[in-house]
Amino acid sequence: MATDATQLPTSKAAATEDVGQIPQWQLMVRRFRRSKLSVSGLYVLIVLYVFMIFSDFLAPYDHNRLDSNYAWAPPSVIGFENGQLVTYKLKQTLDQVRFEWFYEPDLSAPLPIQFFVQGYEYRFLGIIPSRLHLFGVEEGYQINIIGADKDGKDVFSRLMKGSQVSLTLGFIGVIVSVIIGSIVGTASGYFAGAVDNFIQRLIELLRSFPDVPLFLALAAALPMGVPVEVRFFLITLIIALIGWTGLAREVRGKVMSYRASDYTAAAVAAGASHWHIITRHLIPNSLSHIIVVGTLAIPGAIGSETALSYLGLGILPPAVSWGVMLRDAQTIEAITSYPWMLIPVGVLIITVLSFYLLGDGVRDAVDPYA
Amino acid sequence: MLNYIARRLINMVVLLVVVSFVGFFIIQLPPGSILDVQLQRFRQMSGDISREQVRALEERYGVNDPFMTKYWKWISRSVQGDFGTSFETDQSVGDRIWGRLGFSVSLSTFALLFTWLVSIPIGVYSATHRYTVPDYIITFIQFVGLAIPGFLLALVLLIIATRLFNHQVGRLFSPEFIDAPWSFARVVDMAKHVWIAVLVLAMGATAGLTRIMRANLLDVLNMQYVQTARAKGLDEVVVIWKHAVRNAIQPLVMALGTLLPALIVGETLVAQVLSLPTIGPMYLSALRSQDMYLAGTILVILSALLLIGNLIGDLLLAWVDPRVRLD
Amino acid sequence: MTVHPSAASIASTDDVICVEDLKVSFYTDLGIVRALNGVSFNIPRGKVLGVVGESGCGKSITGLSIMQLVHGAGRTEGGRILFREFADRDPVDILTFGKNSSEMRAIRGNNISMIFQEPMSSLNPCYSVGNQIEEAILLHQTDDKLEAARRAIEILTKVGMPNPDRIAKSYPHELSGGMRQRAMIAMALSCNPTLLIADEPTTALDVTTEANILDLMRGLQSEIGTSIMFITHNMGVVAQMCDEVAVMYLGRVVERATVDDIFYDPKHPYTIALLQSIPRLGRSKGRLASIEGTVPDPYSRVEGCAFHLRCPAKIDGVCDVTVPEEIVVDAAKGHTVRCHLYS
Repeated sequence: MATDATQLPTSKAAATEDVGQIPQWQLMVRRFRRSKLSVSGLYVLIVLYVFMIFSDFLAPYDHNRLDSNYAWAPPSVIGFENGQLVTYKLKQTLDQVRFEWFYEPDLSAPLPIQFFVQGYEYRFLGIIPSRLHLFGVEEGYQINIIGADKDGKDVFSRLMKGSQVSLTLGFIGVIVSVIIGSIVGTASGYFAGAVDNFIQRLIELLRSFPDVPLFLALAAALPMGVPVEVRFFLITLIIALIGWTGLAREVRGKVMSYRASDYTAAAVAAGASHWHIITRHLIPNSLSHIIVVGTLAIPGAIGSETALSYLGLGILPPAVSWGVMLRDAQTIEAITSYPWMLIPVGVLIITVLSFYLLGDGVRDAVDPYA
Repeated sequence: MLNYIARRLINMVVLLVVVSFVGFFIIQLPPGSILDVQLQRFRQMSGDISREQVRALEERYGVNDPFMTKYWKWISRSVQGDFGTSFETDQSVGDRIWGRLGFSVSLSTFALLFTWLVSIPIGVYSATHRYTVPDYIITFIQFVGLAIPGFLLALVLLIIATRLFNHQVGRLFSPEFIDAPWSFARVVDMAKHVWIAVLVLAMGATAGLTRIMRANLLDVLNMQYVQTARAKGLDEVVVIWKHAVRNAIQPLVMALGTLLPALIVGETLVAQVLSLPTIGPMYLSALRSQDMYLAGTILVILSALLLIGNLIGDLLLAWVDPRVRLD
Repeated sequence: MTVHPSAASIASTDDVICVEDLKVSFYTDLGIVRALNGVSFNIPRGKVLGVVGESGCGKSITGLSIMQLVHGAGRTEGGRILFREFADRDPVDILTFGKNSSEMRAIRGNNISMIFQEPMSSLNPCYSVGNQIEEAILLHQTDDKLEAARRAIEILTKVGMPNPDRIAKSYPHELSGGMRQRAMIAMALSCNPTLLIADEPTTALDVTTEANILDLMRGLQSEIGTSIMFITHNMGVVAQMCDEVAVMYLGRVVERATVDDIFYDPKHPYTIALLQSIPRLGRSKGRLASIEGTVPDPYSRVEGCAFHLRCPAKIDGVCDVTVPEEIVVDAAKGHTVRCHLYS
């Protein structure tokens, strides 16, 4: 009968390892890896965040550098001449009928692409001052690898700069809301009684506001003339303020059930302090759940920032975020005549999609039965 | 039951009072008022206006009143059904809101119906065919649906509709029907125009609900009573639809209460792209121009919708699930 | 319907079910679990067969396989399950029917029905108890709704429900665990099945309720004449309920005998160990014997006899190399054992 069994497909891992000995987190990693979609989401996000870290280095121009010679310039044609990568000077003509700028690369005038050039000044990671950029062309000309907008601003440079806002704001907003939600939820679930009652009333009130209108009202109430950093901070706070209630409720539910469990009762019987029970038993047990909810909230928060900026209530020009860039892509004209304006939208969609896929995989890995 | 509804309604009124207070406070926070915008326009048109005139206008609109006075004026009138006069257009706030709100509600209702009709069967299919190629495809499409901004889809559909079907889809009606009395032809004309809006509005919610439906059904399929139903000899189709879906649908019923108001306010971006006369763009422009009575009223009405929606959701849940008790 | 030529071999003895060399595996994220490694046993008509063993030994999977209700990652990979509805009919191999085929559905709930371990979750919370019982009757017995309702109340009365009219109208959450299990039994017996598979029906109940339910089942069994496959890990329940016993260990039946032989003349070291771990009145001195070691991890495969890792009578070089064959100890009483000690 054993011979019959050997004919079955046997996975090596299953045969050689003792599954009971593998720590919980490794099982989670293993389950996560099974979801190809989620793993690819994770890889895409890693690439995006690496690009964000090096965004100033990768961007050839300041995101607000205007050049009327390049208004609505299409993506640069890249060629290979005399052993180096080149692009070409553009011939700008006005289409008299449609009244649009019309561009044609002048193939007789190659512009060598230079690498590791000096350009506008920035601070790498916000600390180290630098002027080094990955690539560029001769001063007076522009290379627009994904085209330029109506003022001749380089879309790629703006996309890079915008990532600094769009990839961090929603993320930080969620982290803040997760922290608030976990603390309040744990307190509410653990102490019960009057504390719980008060917190529940507060949450009920906050949830009586329709979230989008409240969001818009709060954003509209933000002071206009403040530096970008302050505005960034305030919008993060708004996202956190609106997001924490849902998590707090879920954490409260979890904590209440863990509190009623035998091991908590055992800890109480052994004379453990509130602090010990909360930090040693309740939080570690709720942690996986908190991480899952947080991961799944990030795409929504990124979407909120984008929507606000798109409506002119979030990040405001001259600062740039992907939401600000969406404004340029919102007309039929932009989509039909200057389709490269949609590239930032595509990047945004890929980012949000990757976060959803990641969150979904994390949830399945952490809690396969949910 | 009636007792429960009465208690919920009283609770709702209390919440609305607090909401109106907090909401009004937030809305009037930014410095300046709609009057500044108006005065500027005045000056451009007719040159100078005297200090007295300005003061008279300020008096009339109560611009310099303390917050509590403003709030009291607004809320006490609102209770009597008089929502005040919009700064911006001098029209009664009530008239302006009801028309747009009606359209918003009907648009969202259509979107909601669409959402349910699509997400339940797809969610069921996806759950019962877990880890198959169609399930992966459905899952991927869902996430794309969640990730694409609504306004972009609206734009793309707009272009497709204009190019391929050669008809104008933005706005509500074709020019010849704008002022026409209601007739069958007018309804058809409206349907031709709003399908994009319904589709776009429903997209995100459909993707989300399909996901929820799939997850719930997977949970329920692990329940012992599903096995009991199979053990009786029921056909798998009956097991799924009569025994499993009935139990999996409850969170969707609960979501019903919150989804309708969410759709109503969620259309802001889409409505702007498609130039639809709904409540969202109106709220936004009221916020932008500091028209605090209008913005405040819309916010309170939307809150009320949300709370009523929640109540309806809870009542429906009690009706669907015999375990839920209303007390 | 497929009739196997070799099915004639069981023609002389009247068995309702004859399971032959059944193999079921589960393909999970963490590897393959071979739940059943060739299970063979039979259930004589009108008798109660107890299937005992520790958790994870494959008792429940065996029950579910007969119903063709193993789903998800589980796959049947060999063997036959011969079912004979009446003594004068030819047996049919259940495994040749599709899981959701009309043949299989006609058997489920009608000829073979099943009761599960968790009375709290085995009734659908959204439908009334009466409705759920009527559903099976309408499916297999009659199209008349009034008649179905009448029969549902009749069977509820039979299982000892007080006030059956009211119970029929109530929802599962309004009943206690014991009441729900009675309702489940009523549902399972509503179509007078040839075989009832009871998967630890009393494990989740308290001792008094357990005794009542067991009494009820035994009473109904002798009244209706239904054969029962009684899955349990409780030897006390076996003694009370069963005529014959099959002891399972890691996906195989290791010993099969009458209830008396199991208790008074056990052969397999595992059966002996299992019996020694039962507390007895009047023998309170000393520690209760427990079986040394634990059940091996389900993902790994044990060479030779699956019990050799824990067996006190292990023969080195034999038990850890070859799987023991089924050996007939007493042909008259049908006592068989799978152990190298008796070969």
